[in-house]
Amino acid sequence: MNDVLLLGRRAVREIIRYPEATIPTLFIPLFFLAVNIGQVSKTFPSSTPFLEGQGYAAFQLPVSLMFAVATATSGLALVTEIDLGYFDKLLVAPIRRSSIIFGRLAADLVRGVATSTLVLLVGLAFGVDVRTGFPGAVVVVFLAALFGVAYAGFGILIALRTRNVQATQSSFLLFFPALFLTPNFVPFDRLSPAMETLARINPISYVIVGVRSLVIDGWDAGKIGICLLVIVVLGLALTALSLRTIARYDR
Amino acid sequence: MFELDEVEWPGSGAAAGAAGPASIRARALRRTFKGGIEAVAGIDLSVETGEIFGFLGPNGAGKTTTVRMLCTLLPPTSGSASVAGLDVVEDAAVVRRRIGVALQEIGLDPVQTGRELLELQCGLYGIRGRRARERTGELLELVGLREAADRRTKTYSGGMKRRLDLASALVHSPDVLFLDEPTTGLDPASRITIWEEVRRINAAGATIFLTTQYLEEADQLCGRLAIIDDGRIVAEGTPERLKAEIGHDVVSVTLAGADPRRTEEALRGLAGLERVVAEPDALALYVDDGAGSVAEIVRRLDRDGLSVGAISVARPSLDDVFLKATGRRLEGHDAEQPEAVAS
Repeated sequence: MNDVLLLGRRAVREIIRYPEATIPTLFIPLFFLAVNIGQVSKTFPSSTPFLEGQGYAAFQLPVSLMFAVATATSGLALVTEIDLGYFDKLLVAPIRRSSIIFGRLAADLVRGVATSTLVLLVGLAFGVDVRTGFPGAVVVVFLAALFGVAYAGFGILIALRTRNVQATQSSFLLFFPALFLTPNFVPFDRLSPAMETLARINPISYVIVGVRSLVIDGWDAGKIGICLLVIVVLGLALTALSLRTIARYDR
Repeated sequence: MFELDEVEWPGSGAAAGAAGPASIRARALRRTFKGGIEAVAGIDLSVETGEIFGFLGPNGAGKTTTVRMLCTLLPPTSGSASVAGLDVVEDAAVVRRRIGVALQEIGLDPVQTGRELLELQCGLYGIRGRRARERTGELLELVGLREAADRRTKTYSGGMKRRLDLASALVHSPDVLFLDEPTTGLDPASRITIWEEVRRINAAGATIFLTTQYLEEADQLCGRLAIIDDGRIVAEGTPERLKAEIGHDVVSVTLAGADPRRTEEALRGLAGLERVVAEPDALALYVDDGAGSVAEIVRRLDRDGLSVGAISVARPSLDDVFLKATGRRLEGHDAEQPEAVAS
């Protein structure tokens, strides 16, 4: 555990000292938030039934939160470390190899809390009213950050498997279709039948729906529970694969 | 630059070169990579406690693969190896506590300062709090980086990075220190600084396994060495013994355009000639009495109307040892491989 804390602290220090790795990841979610609101706020006024009296920003906010936290930053940091030889230094130290992964994920949690808080504040500036109040806002940030941790496992996995910066960088492209095959612009029942089918089998849909429920609907244990379940299963699966890969690294 | 007496070491008191039980042992150690590439082809090694053991060979000879196997970073395809009496596969976790490693690629985190990097390294080896800060201070002093301690490592020069990497391998006072080409790419002054540090670390009790492609480095530092080529050990012993085994002086005849076959034929039958090895623009003659042979060499070349360049006589060097063992020189090994024309 001490090793995880030491490596986590180092990774957080890296985030702070290397802001150019994090700031661009905030550009896309904030850009989408502003542009989407600007483009469709007249189409979906606050009287639209699924907005429950709120502006369209409230509906878009969870999507922007997903974009903000789902980054390949940890994977990129890891593959850079492999490239520089520092990863070998860690492998030859008398620590569990899993500490290297958990240290990175701990830093992802910190980054996720910081970035999702920022995006949430921008959402509030756009007039979003989190219906579940301050506790709900905390849960929104927590769920988003947790999703960021789960997703980081993907970048780490690609980094360990390919040991290639370009491959790790482009892993983010895989997330794009997954995020758009969701009820990101309108609810499930407003999608075409084919899109609705795809969105309903896409687990990320339920993360968005869960977070959105906290912003628009109020406390809905079912939606939040499913959201948390998807994040936990995704996180466990990707982390397990990463742990398996690092355990077999060069073996 | 530093006083190692101030630095704790588990084996302090063991003098350099004081032979004890084997610190490193390898038996038929072999590593094959995908595509059937055999990087290390079944080597045997024995390094005694307190030695500085050199592992000499050109790029791609198998030095780094051997080090990675001994450091537990890479499992052998077959064979076995032990470090500090522990099997590198079965007891890998314990081996890692007993060794320090500075690999060929300098393993530094560019975002951290030198001090932060060493404190983290201390933490990973279970040295925490005040003790970690003290140990970090000792090591920064040891490698002469106290002034630069709070700068990020990305601002360090190549020599400073190499010294910090060396310090990070020493945080836990390892019994065995692996240095993989520790001076590659360094300027001569930085190289000498590293040599001094290696000697002092060894004097404080650590066994050192050092790979290098520099003959002078092996000659200067190592009590014993092995020469590896194409994954096989082709010679092993003390530098003096290996050179003495050549048993001959080396007369180098620069061809300067002369036909190598005609030149070699002209010199065939020279008194005391053991063998002739062709190099890209020279012939190396292994003769009993180098100085005494020069007059006869010149006479024979004149007789056959052969005009050559400089003729020089030298005692055998490690490069001659390498040449004799492999048929080519280590220095300038990127040049076309010469062909042995006579023996």
